[in-house]
Amino acid sequence: MPRVDPTQLLKGVLDLAVLAVLRDDDGYGYDILRRLRAAGLEDVGDASVYGTLRRLFNSGLLTSYVVPSDEGPHRKYYALNVAGREELQRSGKVWQGFALIMDDLLRERGTA
Amino acid sequence: MNLTAQDEIGSYVEEVRQALGGLPATTREELLEDLPEHLAEVLAEGDGTLVERLGSPSAYAAELIASAGLADGSAPRPPGRERFAHLRGRAREAIKRTDVRVGPLLGYARASEFLVLLRPAWWVLRGYLAAMAFAYVFDDNHGPIGLLPRVGGVGIDLFAMTFLVVAILGSIWLGRRGEPAGRVPRLLLRGSSAALAIFAVVGFYEMDYSTRQTAFVGDYVSNQYSSVQDVFVYDGQGNLVSNAQLYDQWGNPIRFGEPGCIDPMTGNWSASRSLGYPFCPDQAPFPGETPDGSESTPPLEQKPDPAATAENRTKTDTGPTVEPADAPSVANASPSGE
Repeated sequence: MPRVDPTQLLKGVLDLAVLAVLRDDDGYGYDILRRLRAAGLEDVGDASVYGTLRRLFNSGLLTSYVVPSDEGPHRKYYALNVAGREELQRSGKVWQGFALIMDDLLRERGTA
Repeated sequence: MNLTAQDEIGSYVEEVRQALGGLPATTREELLEDLPEHLAEVLAEGDGTLVERLGSPSAYAAELIASAGLADGSAPRPPGRERFAHLRGRAREAIKRTDVRVGPLLGYARASEFLVLLRPAWWVLRGYLAAMAFAYVFDDNHGPIGLLPRVGGVGIDLFAMTFLVVAILGSIWLGRRGEPAGRVPRLLLRGSSAALAIFAVVGFYEMDYSTRQTAFVGDYVSNQYSSVQDVFVYDGQGNLVSNAQLYDQWGNPIRFGEPGCIDPMTGNWSASRSLGYPFCPDQAPFPGETPDGSESTPPLEQKPDPAATAENRTKTDTGPTVEPADAPSVANASPSGE
């Protein structure tokens, strides 16, 4: 196990990741989980995504609506609202700034 | 695995609900709201049980609590309880091992998966036991408790049935709500459930005992002595005692048969004139040593009816009895004459 544990990193950015995969398309819980995994976050926990969605919803960043389905269960879709989009921008900038710094650090030291 | 998908989801959600017991009920239900649908998607996606794919329900619940940014509500433990907590942790591990080991015997991955399915059955039983316990404590008629929660006198079976139904519905409602959020109500619920379980075990044995007792007494009375029509008492010398009175240890007279005789030849019934047993001395089963009947009266005997004694003598005489020259006194049971 490297000193940097991906699951620990994930905890810090899961909110941002979830907001990001909802930027273009609304999605329901399992769908969002799939998008995150497809994007490469394979270790993301089922319950973590589920809980994160509840928390983002409770803090007013998401809206939700239920889509009945003929086959299978009804699905609760989540969508970014205005506050959610603002949060995505703000947090996204924080992350990009952070990532740039880390990149620089690694480039100077790691490749030297 | 012989669980249907719906059962599996149901039991998984139920276990997560239990594990979220520390949360306020509204928060908990909110978290669980669309979990079944979500789990259905997970199951539909691929193979493997929910536990295999998502981990244990308690781990799932812990992750849910952490990611949803909710505190579990369990404050850090004071140091004095550290040891107790340690023991409790070890016990929990032992239970978990047993759980996994016993499970396959029942046809499940873990025994608890099977037990979770039985939970509604426990709710029904708990309702019944609560009603019975209530009736046991508050019933004032002190009769045998029976199987219905009767409170009060006779003729209240309808009330008892209604009370029973209400208690069972209440217990189911309580069960469906999940464990209460507060620590005190939770402990109260668990404590009373444990008390009811003990009550059930004790009641079960008591019921078993009384059922067997009744069957025994019933056999005793109805089978062994129900056909007894007359009683013949013989003294130490083998002499038939006449006009014997039978009493039990409480001084209650013991009665067998009707005070009368059926003539073995004609089948006619005639009232006996004896003052005690046997009603029909001439029908004694062991006639060999029999003195010639009740008319050789001891001094303490009441005035015998001449007609009865005459009849008895006649009958005895006709029998194969070897009649002693001088009949010993029946009451004295001594071979000497008067």
